[in-house]
Amino acid sequence: MALIETDNLWKTYEMGSEKVHALRGVTISIQKGEYVAIMGPSGSGKSTLMNLIGCLDTPSEGEYLLNAKQVSTMNDDELASIRNREIGFVFQTFNLLPRASALHNVELPLIYNSSTSTDRLQLAEAALNKVELSDRMHHKPTELSGGQRQRVAIARALVNDPSLLLADEPTGNLDSKTSLEIMRLIDDLHRAGNTIIIVTHERDIANHAHRVLSILDGQIATDELIPEDRRTAI
Amino acid sequence: MVLPSLAKIAVAALWANRLRSGLTLLGVIIGVTSVMTIISALEGMMGAIEDDLAVLGPTTFIITKAGGVITSHEQWMEMMKRKPLDMQSWKLLEEGCVLCEKICPRTDGSANVKRGNNTMKRVWVSGGTSNMIDIVDFEVAQGRFYSVEDDLYRRRVAFIGDDVREELFGQTDPLEKTIRIGGIRYTVCGVAKRRGSMFGESQDEFIYIPFSAHIKQFGYPRRGLRFAIKAQSLDELQNAQDQARMILRAQRHVPYNKPDDFTMMTADSILEMLNSFTRIFRMGLVGISSISLVVGGIVVMNIMMVSVTERTREIGIRKAIGAKQNHIMLQFLFEALVTTLGGGLVGIILGHFAASALVGLLDVDMSVSLFATLSGLIVSTGIGIIFGLYPAMKAARMDPIKALSYE
Repeated sequence: MALIETDNLWKTYEMGSEKVHALRGVTISIQKGEYVAIMGPSGSGKSTLMNLIGCLDTPSEGEYLLNAKQVSTMNDDELASIRNREIGFVFQTFNLLPRASALHNVELPLIYNSSTSTDRLQLAEAALNKVELSDRMHHKPTELSGGQRQRVAIARALVNDPSLLLADEPTGNLDSKTSLEIMRLIDDLHRAGNTIIIVTHERDIANHAHRVLSILDGQIATDELIPEDRRTAI
Repeated sequence: MVLPSLAKIAVAALWANRLRSGLTLLGVIIGVTSVMTIISALEGMMGAIEDDLAVLGPTTFIITKAGGVITSHEQWMEMMKRKPLDMQSWKLLEEGCVLCEKICPRTDGSANVKRGNNTMKRVWVSGGTSNMIDIVDFEVAQGRFYSVEDDLYRRRVAFIGDDVREELFGQTDPLEKTIRIGGIRYTVCGVAKRRGSMFGESQDEFIYIPFSAHIKQFGYPRRGLRFAIKAQSLDELQNAQDQARMILRAQRHVPYNKPDDFTMMTADSILEMLNSFTRIFRMGLVGISSISLVVGGIVVMNIMMVSVTERTREIGIRKAIGAKQNHIMLQFLFEALVTTLGGGLVGIILGHFAASALVGLLDVDMSVSLFATLSGLIVSTGIGIIFGLYPAMKAARMDPIKALSYE
């Protein structure tokens, strides 16, 4: 059984009297342990697809099975709990709480699944350790560099040991040197066994992945496996 | 484990916006303080009146020609036309009312009182039989109350209030000294224990003299007598009242289908009357002061709305990483509650002091009112929930995708 299994996903938005089809029948299957990039120009529907895969939204039509669980019919709170347990998000703009320390930001997902405070602290420290930020635990995001902030965000995504790491333009706000650093971290995480999906419009970034799905006008245009020699090696 | 964390988050958010939270708190404090002040002051006042009425004792009732609440001109006219209660009424009650343990006829007058060069104008001079001391609850500080014999032999002796003593005698011993009441010489037999003043009016400016002496000096009162009657026991109070009522109705030839043409009151009924009399007034005061509470609530709601909008992105982040609707709602509800409860607590304390100061001007003692404190806590919690709920629900129902892309 694949980790992600979608069948003919449609997403339709009503803009006034007009119907806009952001997704037109997307059928994909992603196995556990895969490293996939989703590419596409803006307006192609890649953000919509990411929102659906990330359980932030439900499709208008079609089915989505995550870990064999039917997500397409879940309500708000069920989606929240799936996001909490199964998915780790990494955003382009980091999306850290500005007033909270790195440690508190990382332990945040654990608050919502009723972990005890000692467990939370332990897990959060371990996650920060994994992204090599143990010495910056008590700094606030404003006291950290862009790369460090993104690493805090990655630690937060990992703290719950999710089945899927979903990164939306993770290097979009970073300079090329820091981008490389972050991509190296993500590559490492994949090697450690995590399933990773990166949404990007940069070919360089996409080439870190082992499989690239390109999306155009709400449909999957190509679905290619990247042979080892074409991957961006770090 | 979730709740304490959410509460901590709420407190941290309030702390991060200290000035704003402080101003919101101020709104709540003003509201709660004003309501607390009014409630506590009213309670203190009613309590003082209750204490004052307690001098009558629970088994005592009073019969007068006219009294109680007059609500119409007709009623007033009817009362004015009533026959006075007379010596015959007294005699009949003494003979017939076996359930009445003690009956004290009363008559009032006022006169100028002199001792040497000291004069007090228009002092309340009340006449009553010697058993008055057993019916009305006042205490003797010095000397004694006048006796049955004093009354029987129409001795001119006077039992005086503490203000009268102070005014006429100062530091000297008043006992067995002579004073002039309306020009007539009386000997002071005793002084009452000080009762203090209420609503700025002294309760110690009085003189009691024997009933017989009073009638002799002031004449038989045109408006008739009053009776203070003590029933044998609390259980017999109602029966004693009924018995006295039958005797008086018979004497005054009241037809069976007509109401009493006299008024009977107990301390309880006086209090009840007073309560019903002031109820609308009290409700009005509480109602008006509650407006500031509502304003405080609106301030809370307004700030919460701003806070929710301002933190849209934070809400988006929290929802994306797994916060359920309830988590978000509770987080914001806690913020509102901490504000209103904090404001409530401060308001209760300030209100208590304000009420003490206010009631102090009226010379009434006041204690911490459990009712006022509890209602203060309940009301401020209620305000927090009522005015915090809508913003909290708005936050809880945000779409995470839209919230995350909010600038």
